[in-house]
Amino acid sequence: MNQAMNQALTIAHKEIIDGIRDVRSIVASLFYALMGPAVVGLVSIATHANTKPESGALVLTSMMAIFTLVAAFVGGMNVAMDTVAGERERRSLLPLLLNLVSRRSVVLGKWLAVSFFALAGLIVNVLGFLLVLAKAGFHIPAFALYTWLPIAMGLFSLPLLAASIQLLISTISRGVKEAQTYLSLVVFLPMGIGMFLVFSPAAKQAWLTAVPLVGQQLQMEALMNGRQIALVEPILLGCLTVVLAVVVLLVAAGRLQHDEIIYGN
Amino acid sequence: MITTHRLAKSFDGRPIVRDVSFDAPDGTITGLLGANGAGKTTTLKMICGALQPESGSIFVDNAVDETGAPGDPLSRQHRVGALLDHMGIYSRLTVRENLAYFGRLRRMPAELLEERIESVISVLRLEAIADRRTKGFSQGERMKTALGRALLHSPQNLLLDEPTNGLDIPTIRALRDLLRRLRDSGTCILYSSHVLDEVRALCDRVVIIAEGRIVAQGSPQELCSQAETGSLEEAFIELTSPARSC
Repeated sequence: MNQAMNQALTIAHKEIIDGIRDVRSIVASLFYALMGPAVVGLVSIATHANTKPESGALVLTSMMAIFTLVAAFVGGMNVAMDTVAGERERRSLLPLLLNLVSRRSVVLGKWLAVSFFALAGLIVNVLGFLLVLAKAGFHIPAFALYTWLPIAMGLFSLPLLAASIQLLISTISRGVKEAQTYLSLVVFLPMGIGMFLVFSPAAKQAWLTAVPLVGQQLQMEALMNGRQIALVEPILLGCLTVVLAVVVLLVAAGRLQHDEIIYGN
Repeated sequence: MITTHRLAKSFDGRPIVRDVSFDAPDGTITGLLGANGAGKTTTLKMICGALQPESGSIFVDNAVDETGAPGDPLSRQHRVGALLDHMGIYSRLTVRENLAYFGRLRRMPAELLEERIESVISVLRLEAIADRRTKGFSQGERMKTALGRALLHSPQNLLLDEPTNGLDIPTIRALRDLLRRLRDSGTCILYSSHVLDEVRALCDRVVIIAEGRIVAQGSPQELCSQAETGSLEEAFIELTSPARSC
C-alpha cells in the first residue's frame, strides 16, 4: 500500500514538473482562470455606473459563481489531456506500465497532478475575483474564516471531481484531439448548470445544495448574497463530491486495465 | 532465461497469438522473426507483463510463486527490461530525469539509482546530451535514451522489438556491439524483427512465428537445413508458407 502510494507520488511529481514546463498550457490555463475576474471587473464598472448597487451585486455574484466553477474544470484540463490521451498518442503509456507500477497507482498519480493544476486554477480565479470586487468597491458579505472555511470545503473538493472526470475522459480517448473535443464539452457542464440556476430560481430546491457541482454554485451564491448556510451543508457537499470523485477515478483505473490501451489505436 | 508454453491471446475476437512455446536461454540472442502481424509484439508484451495471456504460461528465470505458478506479471517486470515498439520518452524531461523517473518507479535505492544512471549514460555514450531535454532529439538519441531506461535496473532478460527501426548505420552498429557485449556477460536477449539481415547478423537462435504460431526454431544454419536452402531469407519464406503450415 505504502509502495503503491510512493509510486503514485512519484508519478504525480513527474506530471507536475512536466506540466509546469509546458509554458503554453500554463499561460492558457491562467488566461482561463482570470477570464472570469476580468469579465466581472468590466461588468462591475458598467453596473456601477448604470444600476443600483444591490442589483449590480446580484448579477455579479451569480456570474462569479459560474466562472469559479468553470475555473475548477479548466485549470487541469490540459494536463488531463496530456497525461493519458497524450501519453497514448506519444506511445509513452506502455513503457510506463512496464515498470512495476500498478495501473491504479498510475491513475492515482495522474489524478493528483491534474487535481493540483485544477486547484491552482481555482485559487487563482478566487483571488482574482476578490481583487476585482475589492477594487470595484463591492462589499463581500461574511468575509470571515468561520464562514469561508466550510464553503471552501465544498468548493475546493470540486477540482478533485473535475480531475477525475477529465482523467476518465482522457483514458477513454485515443488521442489528444479526441480528448480535447470531449473535455471542451465537459466545461459546458458547470457553465450550463450555472446558467440554468441563474435564470430558473424556482429550480433551486434545498436538497440540491448537497448535489456536487449544483451545490457549489448555490452555496457560493448564498455566501455572496449574505445568506446564512448551515455548517453541515458544505461539509456534506464536500464529502459527497470527494466520494463521487473516487468512484469516477476507480472507473478510470478500470479503463486502464483494458487491452485496448496496450494495443493502441 | 525466458520460457513460454502454449501462449494464446486474441483481441476483439481475433486470435493474434495461437500457440507460442519457445525457450530463450541466458547468454544468447534469440531472434523472434515473423512478418508484420505475425504475433511477435503481442508475445513480447505478454512476456513483459503488459498483456495477460488467455492461456499458457510464461517463466522468466524459472521463477515461480508459492503455488508453483509462474507468478504475476508485475513480478516478471523485476527480471525484464523491455524496449518495445514504443520509445516513450518524455520530451520535457532531460535524459537524466527520464532515467531517474523510471528508476524511482522501480523503487531503486537513491544511491544505486545514481550509480546506474551514470553507468548507463557512459555505456550508451549519452554524456553530451544527458542534461538536455529530449525534445528535438534524433531517432538515434531517443532510442538510446529508451534503451537506457530498459537497462537501468540491470535486467537479466532484455526484450527488444525492432530496435533498429529508423536508425542510421553507425547507430545500428553501435547497438549491435552493445547487445553482443550484454550477451557475452550472460544476459538473455529476445530480439524481435522482420529484417532478416539484422537477425542473421546478430542472433544465435531464431524462432520463426507465423499467424500466431511457432513454425520453426533453431540456429540460422539449422533453419536453412530444415528448409533445404542456403539462405535465411529462402528458409523464412519456405518455413512460413501457407502450404507448409497446412
